[in-house]
Amino acid sequence: MMAKRPLVSVVDDSESVRESLPDLLRELGYSVRAFSSAEEFLASDCVGETRCLILDIVMPGMTGPDLQQELMVRGQEIPIIFVTAQSDETVRTRLLEQGAVDCLFKPFSDTALCEALNAAFRVS
Amino acid sequence: MNLDRLICDEVVDNGCSSERHIGLLPPRHRDRKGAAAEDQAAMWVGLGFAEVASKVGGLIRQGFPLSVVLTTLCQHFDATADGCSSSVLLLDRAGTRVRFSAGSGLPASYMKQLEGKRVRWVETPFGATINEKTPVIVLHPVSDTLREEAAPAAARGFRLCKVSPILSVTGEPLGIFAIYQRESKTDYPRFQSAHIAQFTTLASAAIERMRGDEALNRSAALLERTQQLSSTCCFSWRAKTGEISWSKELGQLFELDAAEVPVTLGLIGTRIHPEDLPSFNEMIERARSGVSDFEFEHRLLLPDNSVKYLHVVAHRTRDQEGELEYIGAVQDVTHRRHAEEAVAKLRAELARAAKVASLGVLTAAIAHEVNQPLAGIVTNASMCRRMLGVDPPDIERARESASRTIRDAERASEVIKRLRALFCKKGVTCESLDLNEATREVVALSLSELERNKVMVRTELTGELPPIQGDRVQLQQVILNLLLNASDAMGGIDDRPRQILIRTERDEEDRVQLSVRDTGVGFGPQGADRLFDAFYTTKGNGMGIGLSVSRSIIESHRGRLWATPNDGPGATFSFSIPSGPMTAAITGARTLGAIRPSTATAAEERHVRSL
Repeated sequence: MMAKRPLVSVVDDSESVRESLPDLLRELGYSVRAFSSAEEFLASDCVGETRCLILDIVMPGMTGPDLQQELMVRGQEIPIIFVTAQSDETVRTRLLEQGAVDCLFKPFSDTALCEALNAAFRVS
Repeated sequence: MNLDRLICDEVVDNGCSSERHIGLLPPRHRDRKGAAAEDQAAMWVGLGFAEVASKVGGLIRQGFPLSVVLTTLCQHFDATADGCSSSVLLLDRAGTRVRFSAGSGLPASYMKQLEGKRVRWVETPFGATINEKTPVIVLHPVSDTLREEAAPAAARGFRLCKVSPILSVTGEPLGIFAIYQRESKTDYPRFQSAHIAQFTTLASAAIERMRGDEALNRSAALLERTQQLSSTCCFSWRAKTGEISWSKELGQLFELDAAEVPVTLGLIGTRIHPEDLPSFNEMIERARSGVSDFEFEHRLLLPDNSVKYLHVVAHRTRDQEGELEYIGAVQDVTHRRHAEEAVAKLRAELARAAKVASLGVLTAAIAHEVNQPLAGIVTNASMCRRMLGVDPPDIERARESASRTIRDAERASEVIKRLRALFCKKGVTCESLDLNEATREVVALSLSELERNKVMVRTELTGELPPIQGDRVQLQQVILNLLLNASDAMGGIDDRPRQILIRTERDEEDRVQLSVRDTGVGFGPQGADRLFDAFYTTKGNGMGIGLSVSRSIIESHRGRLWATPNDGPGATFSFSIPSGPMTAAITGARTLGAIRPSTATAAEERHVRSL
C-alpha cells in the first residue's frame, strides 16, 4: 500500500488560486484541501492533519498572519508558505523572521513553489 | 497789614497794559503816577523792533537752540534799557516750573539756580505775573518772601524790578521776562511798556516756534522709530511733476543716496528687478491717471545682486495746488516672502509626498487585484506544460489547465474594467454656467502660483457671454491645465516678460471661446500633431496626459480644443463650446471617466511642480 500523501492546505480568498494551485500540488504528489478563508480552515477537520499551509496574507476577516498567530497559540506548528499579491519586501522579511518557510509573490512559478515546498517538508 | 506778605494788589492803568505792584513801596515811589510817567519816557534805542524780529527769525531758521535765540533777544533789550539786565525764564509745558533761563547780563550761577524752581502762584512776582497774566512791578526793598526770587540776584548786585508774562497766542504761559537793575542805581528804571510787550511777543513767537519744532522732531523721531520697527518707509509722489520725496530709510532700502541726486522714477527704475519692471511701469501708468489708491508688490535687484521684496501702498490725495499726489508707505517684506516661500516649498514637498504615497497605495491596490488572476494564469500554464510534458501527454488535463488560464485572463480583464468603473462613478454633472465666472475663479486660485513663477496674467473677458451647459469642475480643470501649461512653457524664458493673456469671446456661430496665450517656448511643426496625444510630453517631468484629458473633456462638451503658434513667441491654446441648452447628454463621459483619475493627478502634478 502506498504511503499516504502528505496534506497541503491552501487558504486563499482568490478563486483563481484555489482553482489552479490544488491541481498542480496534486501533480507534485501532495493531497490538497483548499479553503477560501482562515476561519473556514480552522473550522475544518484538516488542521491537525495539514503538513504544510499555503496561506494568503490579505484576506477579508482573519488575515494570513492572524491565522499563523492563532495556530501558534493552539500549539499547532504547521510549516507555512505565504503567498501574496502584494509584493512588499518589508512584510516578507517580517514574516520570514516570524517563522514562515517562505513568502512567494504572486504570480509565482512552479519552480519557486517546489523549492518552497521542499523547504517546508525539510523543516517538518 | 503784614508787611512781609504781598502788600499790594492794586492795578493801575499806565496806558498800555495793566500792571501790578509788589513789594514794600519806598517813599519816593509812592507816587505811582510818577513811575508811570517815567515809564512813558523810556527810550527805545539801538535796533528797531523789525530788525530785532528779523534777526531772531534768522537765528531760528539757522537752527540755533532756543537758549541762544532768547539770550540774543535779551542782549538787544539790555542794550536799550540803561543799567538793566533782562532774562527769560522758560517754563515747562505745565507752566509751573522753570526749565531754564536765558540772558547774558546776569550772573550764570543765579540763572542756573532758578532752573527747576517752582513758580509759586500769586505770592511772588513770577507767580503773580503768570497767574494774572499781567506785568508786575517789583518795588524795593522786597519782603523776605520775595527774597527767594529776588535776593540771590541782589546778593550779586542786581535787584528784580519788573516781570512780564510771555504768553502763547492762546494765552498759555510760556515763560517770564524778568528785568533786573544794578543795585548801584537808585532810581527805578524807565521802560516803555509797549517795548516790553514787543519783546515778549517776539520771545513768545520764538518759544512757540521752537516748541513746534520740538514736537515735529519728536513726531519725526517717533515716525523713524516706527519705520524701523515695521521695516516701513514713506514717500510722496506728485504725479504731474514727477517730484518724489522719500524718507531717508527708503533711500537706504533702495541703496540710493537721495541727498546726492534728486529721486526720479527713472532712478528708481534702475533698482526695480527687471522681471518686475513691466508690471511696475504698468502700475505707475495706472496711478498717473489717478484712478485710485494703489497697492502692489515688486522686487528690487540691488547692485550686489541681492533681491528685496517690497510691498507698496499709496493713498491718492491732492497737494496744496490741487494736483494729484500719492502718499505712500513701502514695507520691506523680504523676510516674510522668504518665510512664505520656505513654507510653500515645504507644503509642496509634503503634497508631493502625499501624492506619491496615495499613488503608491492606488498602484498597490491595482497590483493586488491584477496579481491574483495572474497567479492563476502562471500556475495553470505551468500545469498545462507539465501535462504536455509527460509521456504520453495528458491532453485532457492540459486542456483543462488552458481553459482555466483563459478564465483567469478574463478575470484580469474584469478587474481592469472594475477599476475603470470605480473611477468613472463620479458622474458628470451638467449645469448652466458662465465661462467668465468659471475663468475668474481659476485665475484667482492660481494667481499666487503664477506670480511665484514670475508670470503676469491678463484677462480680457468679453462681457455678456451666453451661458454654456457643462460640468463646471471639469471645465475649470481644463482652464487650469491650459494656464499651468502656459506657465510651464515660460519657465525658462528670461529675455522677455512671461505673460499670459486669457481671453473669452463669442464667435459668429454663438459658440463661447476661451483662449490662453503665452510667450513661452511654443511648439515646433512636428509637435503640433502630437500635442494632444496621451503620454506625449515635452516636459521633463510631465506625464503627457493633461492636454489629452483636456481635449476629451472639451469634446464631451461637444466642443473643440486646438493649439496655434503665435506670430511672436509662444503659443495659444483655445477651446470653444456651443452655448445654449445641451441637446444630448455629455457624450464623452465614458471615455473621460476612464482616464479621469489622471486628470486630477496631472493638474496636481503641474501645480505641485511649479511651486
